[in-house]
Amino acid sequence: MESFLLNNQTVLASSPPFIFSKPKVGDVVVFKVDNIIYIKRVKEIYTSPSLRGASRYFLEGDNKEDSLDSRKIGWISRKQILGKIVFKF
Amino acid sequence: MMILLRSLSKLLPTYTVYAHCDIPCGIYDPKPAQIAASTVLKMVQKINDLPKDNPTFGDRNSFVRMVVVKEEHARKCKEELLILWTDYFKSEHISLFPNLHEIFWKAAKLCSKNKQEVSLESAQELIKAVDEIASMFANAEATLNKKSS
Repeated sequence: MESFLLNNQTVLASSPPFIFSKPKVGDVVVFKVDNIIYIKRVKEIYTSPSLRGASRYFLEGDNKEDSLDSRKIGWISRKQILGKIVFKF
Repeated sequence: MMILLRSLSKLLPTYTVYAHCDIPCGIYDPKPAQIAASTVLKMVQKINDLPKDNPTFGDRNSFVRMVVVKEEHARKCKEELLILWTDYFKSEHISLFPNLHEIFWKAAKLCSKNKQEVSLESAQELIKAVDEIASMFANAEATLNKKSS
């Protein structure tokens, strides 16, 4: 996720922003897949009536050439998204 | 502000999150193995086409070069197959392809056989084995995409 984030940088992720609103394209979020927590940027959001209004998120790293993201692990459900990056330090 | 945030990070639960995938990179493709196997076959064909009686220095030079390329691509093919076998395919794929390990093991052995021999039959067997692995890979990818859609 360079240059947005550097290796070993600390970030503050918060779930309340997603209580009041849904993740938006461009948000950097943390999400869990198979007990591993990843950090990626929301690239696309898909909402279908067949999903009963639930959205699926396509998350991508800023450095696409070496990022393991939705291109490989697929669309992510809202439930898997733990929070939004609200601060980095 | 920074002091407050640093104190917060001590109070709040902290986890390691992963942004990159340098290991594993998640980029897998059977194509390099297929190209390497095709190169092995091509070299065997070219070696067989060389004049066997009274070869010139040029023919001998070509022979050595072709053997080196065959050797190198058989090695590369094995390396690519081992990456797919050990990194891409997971235990859950065994239910899809019960004989996965045997297929890979035989294909890897064929790479070595093609180093040792100049045999059209072995080279064609290698191509067939690698194509079978490519087909398994395509099926595994299709299953993964179906699950995630």
